[in-house]
Amino acid sequence: MDQSEIDALLNTGANKPTGKSKKAKETPSETPIAAPKGAETAADKDGQVISEIDAVTAVTERETNKVMDQLDLISQLIAKQQDLVTRVMQQPDAQAEGVQQALHEIMTSGKTIQDKVYEAMDLMQFQDITRQKLERIVFHLRQIHDYIIELLGTGLKSEGERANISRTIAQTGTTPDEKRTHADSVVEEFKRSQQKG
Amino acid sequence: MKILIVDDSSTMRRIIINTLSRIGYSDVIEAEHGKAGLEKLGQGGVEMIITDWNMPEMDGLEFVTVVRGSNPSIPILMVTTNAAKEDIVAALQAGVNNYVVKPFTPDTLKEKIESLLG
Repeated sequence: MDQSEIDALLNTGANKPTGKSKKAKETPSETPIAAPKGAETAADKDGQVISEIDAVTAVTERETNKVMDQLDLISQLIAKQQDLVTRVMQQPDAQAEGVQQALHEIMTSGKTIQDKVYEAMDLMQFQDITRQKLERIVFHLRQIHDYIIELLGTGLKSEGERANISRTIAQTGTTPDEKRTHADSVVEEFKRSQQKG
Repeated sequence: MKILIVDDSSTMRRIIINTLSRIGYSDVIEAEHGKAGLEKLGQGGVEMIITDWNMPEMDGLEFVTVVRGSNPSIPILMVTTNAAKEDIVAALQAGVNNYVVKPFTPDTLKEKIESLLG
């Protein structure tokens, strides 16, 4: 995906007409106090940011899967190469010491490449972790957005702008660094307390 | 050994499947949230569950609680970004057998799975 596609996707999300603006026009009785124009624009921008972040997480997940596809392909090609080299090593014509040594080195380097491909796949976990951090930001932005709207008495909510976040993100989500703990020690402590109980 | 993976991130499901395959577990089924996980579990044959916590529809904690209501013995490993002590304790109280914080290494996942399977 190139930059223009990303921009187009983001603009689609950001420029999408929001249900809240429509609702405000249809139900004027729900807006006893007219929101100052500048403040309403700020609230709308919050909604846009939520949509944009949601779109970014969707794009990065899709693009990460494309990287995973390529890594899978490399992995399969290496496996095929290893298989071919193994067969060549068994050929009567390939029994000279120098040839065997060279083939052995090819096998070793192939294994190293395979390990590096696996490491790269494992590193793709960053996408899910970043996504959850962004969801947490979206959650807080939405709270601010709803607070501003409520404060202005417009009766507008961000329902139409709900990004696809986890239900429990408010209580949990990606844990801030200062609250992170070592899971194994907590598990052990819990199991010991269960045994005592 | 059929393993059910419940995670809303397709990337994470792929990474876990890939890791499992490398350590010898290739019979894997997937679900993208707790509700879908319960459906897959209902189809039978699952011998172990690896679940995320933060998911739409039904989160991992609720999923584990529901599973434990009908299946007290199936091994459940939670793999999540939640790393606060109170979260880990809540998961254990809900019935999780062990807990891995993302990002994990293949060795960590292997060690946890093997310890759960005894």
